[in-house]
Amino acid sequence: MQNEMTIERLREIVEAYGASPARWPEAERPAAEAMLAASAHARALVEDAARFDALLDMAPVEAPSAALTERLVAARPRAAAPLVQPAPDLRARTTRGFFGGLVEAVWPYGSPAFPAGALAAALVMGVALGSTSGISVLDTDNSVAAITDTEAGEGLIALAMADQAWPEEWMQ
Amino acid sequence: MADRRLEALQGAGSGRRPRMGDGRLPVDKTSGPPGPARAREMRLEQPSDDDLVAAVATGDEAACRALMDRHLTRMLALARRMLGNQADAEEVAQEVFIRVWTHADRWEPGKAQFGTWLYRVATNLCLDRLRKKRPTDDIDDMPNLASGDPGPDRQFEQRELAARVDAALQELPERQRAAIVLSHYQGLGNIEAADILGVTVEAVESLLSRARRQLRVSLATEKDELLRSKEISAS
Repeated sequence: MQNEMTIERLREIVEAYGASPARWPEAERPAAEAMLAASAHARALVEDAARFDALLDMAPVEAPSAALTERLVAARPRAAAPLVQPAPDLRARTTRGFFGGLVEAVWPYGSPAFPAGALAAALVMGVALGSTSGISVLDTDNSVAAITDTEAGEGLIALAMADQAWPEEWMQ
Repeated sequence: MADRRLEALQGAGSGRRPRMGDGRLPVDKTSGPPGPARAREMRLEQPSDDDLVAAVATGDEAACRALMDRHLTRMLALARRMLGNQADAEEVAQEVFIRVWTHADRWEPGKAQFGTWLYRVATNLCLDRLRKKRPTDDIDDMPNLASGDPGPDRQFEQRELAARVDAALQELPERQRAAIVLSHYQGLGNIEAADILGVTVEAVESLLSRARRQLRVSLATEKDELLRSKEISAS
């Protein structure tokens, strides 16, 4: 940067940056302003540049339309949904005690009363059905054989037990 | 919700020491110049650009609006003077802010001046658009510089002068136009303009000198008209 200001350098500055010292190179501004205060020639240069600046300032400009602003607001980033579920209420868990915690660890999908009730109902239905149909189950050495009153019943039991001796009529 | 978040932001930012050129704007120019203490106090109440960008990344609508209030008009004016029409300028301004929205969560405070980054994006978008448009330019679409008759109405005369200044700007080579838009119209210093254009400060000065020389030639008649018109209105 130049330390000394000359009228030629001031002319170059004004011809490039215009009349406003605010636009002049910061390092040269004090020296240029000092010359402006001291020299009528320098002031004439700047006054001419100011008239030209005023002409340039006539270039039209418009404010942003409301539609542009609203389009941009509509396109703004949105807060992302949280990827992690909120932390459970630990105090509520501790009040269930040891067995409550154990039950929740085994069956964490809500109340365990529902599956327990369904299991009990299935047991009752099975006992009732067994006592009324006359089916009995006997243990043998390697397999379980079922004796029923009808042939169709035998076939069903054999199929259910994956017996290799399929009734012939079922294979056709 | 959004307003609450911005209020919280303003509170959080108020304890910070303001940095020079961090995008804080003077609050109210209409009620006369405030004293230095009041001006400093008003600046402290304003969240910085970096604070606003961080809030934008979380989807804060009030922060988005505040950032647009601060910068949209300037980006639009830059694009308008670079491109010569409002519709293209709005498209560029929109693209600039869409990029802000897209990159807000990756913005690193303090790494760069947000305002300078905005100017660089807007200037490059304008230059890209001008380069793509160049081969299809139709001479009939260019504004007529020598449309002489100013007409009796002074308002019409002013509009005519404005149109001719705009047309003279559009005739400048792109980089000269960018330099004069950044320096004269946006009021940026030579160092910031050089940073935005990716050239040296000497190159910026050369671009500005050539631009103003050509504009003086293009607008010699208009300068005289303007002087006459000012003399008439003064008498």
